[in-house]
Amino acid sequence: MTGTGAENAPLTLDELRDTILDAALPHVPFDGWTMTALAAGARSRGLKSADVLRAFPTGPIDAIAYHSERADRRMVQALESQDLAPVKIRDRVALALRTRFEQNAADREAIRRALSVLSLPQNAPRSARLLYRTVDAVWYACGDTSTDFNFYTKRGLLAGVYSATLLYWLNDSSEGSADTWRFLDRRIGDVMRIPKMQARLGEALSRLPNPLALRHPSEWLRQGLPRSMRTSYPDRWPPPPQRR
Amino acid sequence: MTAENDVDSIQRDPPRRTGEGWLPGDPPPRQRLEQMIRVDQAGEFGATRIYAGQLAVLGRTASGPVLRHMAEQERAHLETFNRLMAERRVRPTILSPLWHIAGFALGAGTALLGERAAMACTVAVEEVIDEHYARQRDELGDDETELRETIERFRAEELEHRDTGLEREAELTPGYELLTGAIKAGSRLAIWLSTRF
Repeated sequence: MTGTGAENAPLTLDELRDTILDAALPHVPFDGWTMTALAAGARSRGLKSADVLRAFPTGPIDAIAYHSERADRRMVQALESQDLAPVKIRDRVALALRTRFEQNAADREAIRRALSVLSLPQNAPRSARLLYRTVDAVWYACGDTSTDFNFYTKRGLLAGVYSATLLYWLNDSSEGSADTWRFLDRRIGDVMRIPKMQARLGEALSRLPNPLALRHPSEWLRQGLPRSMRTSYPDRWPPPPQRR
Repeated sequence: MTAENDVDSIQRDPPRRTGEGWLPGDPPPRQRLEQMIRVDQAGEFGATRIYAGQLAVLGRTASGPVLRHMAEQERAHLETFNRLMAERRVRPTILSPLWHIAGFALGAGTALLGERAAMACTVAVEEVIDEHYARQRDELGDDETELRETIERFRAEELEHRDTGLEREAELTPGYELLTGAIKAGSRLAIWLSTRF
């Protein structure tokens, strides 16, 4: 399959990318995400440097993007093969992120080098899009079906959790990254406190009178009064008192 | 006999695919489909909010049952698009908090102008939606028959709402042209924004 791919069966574009990327990854910790590393990978599989340009037209940043998107795809596949129905949402999210980290454990140094490329200002839009794709894939794998603004708050919060955990994971030297999984659990725990705070805030706000409640003024007045002073008015304002 | 068959085969339209006339610079077919579902979901969400606003004001009047019936249908439409959105992995519009407020304000505002103005609002919105759905129906090819039929069914119901509005004297609203013109312009802007954001 691999090896002299260029001459024999023509590879599809994704196969070409897979071949070059997999061969280049061992070079990346030394050469960084550079054309040197990609060309070295291509050469070792008998491909030409023109093939690198065909696979990654705008250079190494394309390779980084492809690596991230492939990781998202693999994570979704891994989660789809499991039965997640009995798993709580927070555990599903943790499982998804953990799966993604574990699948890429071998490329940790390459990912570290990728982050330094992605943090360059000219790559900011691209890296934001990659981050979005990743958190979107995680929520998709977790079976999220929200179609309102929660869609964005969920992804935003998870982006924070994921970015923080990614940085922790890069420097984690514990056995089997055990510290990272505890860190991840604590970060998700932080996020889970937000709905509780929202509920408390909502409860506090509900005690204030709501000027937007478009009801009959009598009802409005009745609600604003303390319970002991409430009397039930009829549906209309009472007639003015008769003068004698 | 054969010649006749040939003529037949020439005259019959070949199955049309979505985004067939796609040109570089247009949104690619897959993205166009996402845009359609996004804007439709946003539109139905906005419609439920408009009716919620109208019901908050007119819920106890004679128009109440009519409004409730239309609101119920819009809710069913919204649920359908919510389902489609989750199935096809389309992101919703980021402007939904805006439509949440603007829809309710439009509904409540026109309802406060009177029942006829509320009906004029319905007529204006539904006319824009009718154009919008008709354009989408024409854009969708034979590979998206199910979506096309759903849209066509919803379009028929939106037209019913428009006719209900006209029956209930929408056109007698003072400043009918001005009011509906403004609402139509606003609805078109909302469609443009929800398609993209």
